[in-house]
Amino acid sequence: MSRRYDSRTTMFSPEGRLYQVEYAMEAIGNAGTCLGILASDGIVLACEKRITNKLLDEIFETEKLYRLSADMVCSVAGITSDANILVNELRHIAQRYQLQYQEPMPCEQLVSQLCDIKQTYTQFGGKRPFGVSLLYAGWDPHYGLQLYQSDPSGNFSGWKATCIGANNAQAMSTLESEFKEGITLEDAVPLAIKIMHKIMDQNKLTAEKLELATVTRSDDKTKMTIIPREKLEKLISEREKLAAAEKQK
Amino acid sequence: MSIDEYNGCAIVAMVGKDCVALATDTRFGVQRSTITTDFQRVFQMGPRLFVAMSGLVTDAYTVSARLKYRLNLYELRENRPVSPSVFVSMVSNLLYERRFGPYFSTPVIAGLDPTSGKPFIAGFDCIGDPSIGSDFITDGTAGEQLMGMCETFWRPDLNK
Repeated sequence: MSRRYDSRTTMFSPEGRLYQVEYAMEAIGNAGTCLGILASDGIVLACEKRITNKLLDEIFETEKLYRLSADMVCSVAGITSDANILVNELRHIAQRYQLQYQEPMPCEQLVSQLCDIKQTYTQFGGKRPFGVSLLYAGWDPHYGLQLYQSDPSGNFSGWKATCIGANNAQAMSTLESEFKEGITLEDAVPLAIKIMHKIMDQNKLTAEKLELATVTRSDDKTKMTIIPREKLEKLISEREKLAAAEKQK
Repeated sequence: MSIDEYNGCAIVAMVGKDCVALATDTRFGVQRSTITTDFQRVFQMGPRLFVAMSGLVTDAYTVSARLKYRLNLYELRENRPVSPSVFVSMVSNLLYERRFGPYFSTPVIAGLDPTSGKPFIAGFDCIGDPSIGSDFITDGTAGEQLMGMCETFWRPDLNK
């Protein structure tokens, strides 16, 4: 562990690691969880809200979910101010593509272009990387509904189900056993609630601490629906009843 | 033939009772030749906001594409549909940016305010001077002729 090599973002350590990038991922490991599941007829994004002071004025529709374009949304985990910069950049990238080609930008290209920007902060300039991981959910006419994840290193990959933020390892192992190919949105939403309930075990899961959205296609349009609080409360209480019943067995 | 008359067009927007109407001709010509007769000049910018572009067609399409770019970013950032009066400022700003090499196209906006539902029409010159209309706006190569027709036939509170 050579501490001499970790203050410069653009230097490798003797073991071949980029410490600043790893430290950025540490920051995200302490941030509110984001979970994504790609179902056959839609995508679920579930996010844990960390900022729940009752004195906060609710001026934004969502804290962790952002619309990027008509066909893509994302959720963020990590430093919110860094996330705002990246979301703004993503929106501009998508619009520039639309202006040039008069066609919506394919999902992977949008993710890829932002990741190229994130990568430059790990190679030049001496600036620190962005302390944000993102989950992207979107649709394009080439590959249909897609779910992607990107991290501070600028790596990205496509997923059927994934999780970022606090307790993501626990969520991923649960997803590995419970995710079934061809799952529908109707089953994916309770599954997302189940996993959020499990990993937020210490801090009890309430509707105020959860943001849940579904991305679907209907009438040739992509819709992002943010599940209202009453419906969330109902889903959470159903989950709690099932969990109590399972415990009794 | 001046550049404004190269492709030819006729646009009229009118205010009615809780409604607006926007009409354009559908001829696309190159000077005196007619190329098509099913040409689209109206572009939808929102659920209740339309813009019709007159003048040189290439500039009409470019301005409307650039306008949509700015509009999309506005709506993503503000999380609400744009109101016609703000849209007027957006159009005006876009056109004035090219003050000394202007787009040879002038937009005519017709829409309803997203919150109040109030009818709204506006016209511009090619460098962005807005004229917000309370009755009708006409534009294009047949602009004067349309103005005469509107002056004769328009009355307030015409319904659909």
